[in-house]
Amino acid sequence: MIVASGLTKRYGDRVAVDDVSFTVRPGRVTGFLGPNGAGKSTTMRMVIGLDRPTAGTVTVDGARYADSPAPLRAVGALLEARALHPGRTARAHLRWLAASNGIPAARVEEVLGLVGLEAVAGQRVGRFSLGMGQRLGIAAALLGDPPVVVLDEPVNGLDPEGIRWVRSLARDLAAEGRTVLVSSHLMAEMALTADHLVVVGRGRVLADCATADFIAEHAASFVRVRAPRPGALADLLRRSGADVTRDGDELRVQGADTVAVGELAAGAGLVLHELGLVRSSLEDAFMTLTAGSVEYAARPAEVTR
Amino acid sequence: MTAVTPTAPRGTGLGRAVHAEWLKLWSVRSTGWSVAAMVALGAGLTTLVCALVAPDLAAGQTGEPVGAFITWGLLFAQVTAVVLGALTVTAEYGTGMIRATLAATPRRGTVLAAKALVLSGTLFVAGVVTAVLGWLGGNAFLSAEGIGLSLGDDGVLRALLGSGLYMAGLGLLAMAAGLLLRSTAAAVSVVLALVFLVGNLVMLLPGALGEWLTKLMPGNAGSRIAVPESFNPLLLEPWTGFAVFAAEVAVLLGLAAVAFARRDA
Repeated sequence: MIVASGLTKRYGDRVAVDDVSFTVRPGRVTGFLGPNGAGKSTTMRMVIGLDRPTAGTVTVDGARYADSPAPLRAVGALLEARALHPGRTARAHLRWLAASNGIPAARVEEVLGLVGLEAVAGQRVGRFSLGMGQRLGIAAALLGDPPVVVLDEPVNGLDPEGIRWVRSLARDLAAEGRTVLVSSHLMAEMALTADHLVVVGRGRVLADCATADFIAEHAASFVRVRAPRPGALADLLRRSGADVTRDGDELRVQGADTVAVGELAAGAGLVLHELGLVRSSLEDAFMTLTAGSVEYAARPAEVTR
Repeated sequence: MTAVTPTAPRGTGLGRAVHAEWLKLWSVRSTGWSVAAMVALGAGLTTLVCALVAPDLAAGQTGEPVGAFITWGLLFAQVTAVVLGALTVTAEYGTGMIRATLAATPRRGTVLAAKALVLSGTLFVAGVVTAVLGWLGGNAFLSAEGIGLSLGDDGVLRALLGSGLYMAGLGLLAMAAGLLLRSTAAAVSVVLALVFLVGNLVMLLPGALGEWLTKLMPGNAGSRIAVPESFNPLLLEPWTGFAVFAAEVAVLLGLAAVAFARRDA
């Protein structure tokens, strides 16, 4: 279990992480979701003691990471794909990591097999593709067979097969009762992987809920109706218990499907010009939620003639 | 997934960290090349210079002490020690690997101690081997002229072991600079400039100021231990000089340790 409370990190005037509190529980995959620059990586670095919090604390299974006698056996972390010396072989990289935490060298061969890098274990990692580097990083995270696994953007640079592999790995680790925290800036990826979501933007927690609840709440669909007498139609729909918002001659209806809206209008003899179901995607929900918290937003290019 | 047998981690924190640093040091090619270059260059140049000056020395034409030549090649071996020392930390900052290191061993004092032990141990052995090979090679030519130096001669054994000590100290100095500057180019340039340039430039300052600065500069104070006799009569006595040098290295390492402990990785 990872518990962050009041976690804050300032770099000079810039607040990267602002009073963040959350709990990552064992037995499920928790998605750490937010746009780039939202403070996800900084938070994860504070979890494993690389960055010192300006304020607040974060503990792993009740203890500070740095106090563990063999931290790789307590928490496995994939932080940056390229936390590697390019001149060292994959096996040598895992060997020194194992030695640093008193992990038997035999375990190195096990994790190499687990991530599918046995064939290239003797190659220098400078020649690895981004995806191979990512697999090696995951091998390093699993080296100490830790009860807590933290993966920062693990699918970056992976091909579709690799992405599916990481997804099922995360789910398997959680199914074994481990605590799994996976960060991503891709809502769709998290919807497929995570059971629970902690959504951050500009260093603050925007949502902390089950993925299913997040989808239900934020990715709701609505019925769009255009009618020549929108006021009368809106009153009728509201009386039937639906939520209605009006924008000119267009109504947005929630709480009634297209069939119900059509039947009601027909019963009252009201004319409809348009009737349709609009689904907003998860990605839209995420964008709406984090709007205003995006650090580097692109503005639409001006059209010049 | 298969599980690691739930045994307590073997060894102490420092012991495990030293083991890890040792594996790290020797699993990149540059270490082997650097140490080989140090030994070849150092011993080779000592042999060469002894071969060249032996006749003149024997004829008493140079006015230079024979002992000043017997570890002469170490002058060049110093460069390798500085590069290797800086790389011990700057290669990790350059590649981002420092984060893997600190995730594996969060106690920064332990990481620093492990790196210092492995680096200084390696450079001590390499320095002694370089000096001994240079002495064997150079002495062949000196002995042919009847002016050879034996291990029993004044300061010879001390200089051979002192070569290792000086190399280890230089490596630690460069490592401290690397921790403070976090850049290979910057750390190597600063230390080499301090040892080779500044150390010689202060000799040009007039009076007691120049004399004392010359005595106290790290390269001047520390290197005296590595030669049986010096070209420069101004320098401090071998062990006094080395004590000054060791104190300077310790101060810089202390500053580096504070910075290392405080900064984010």
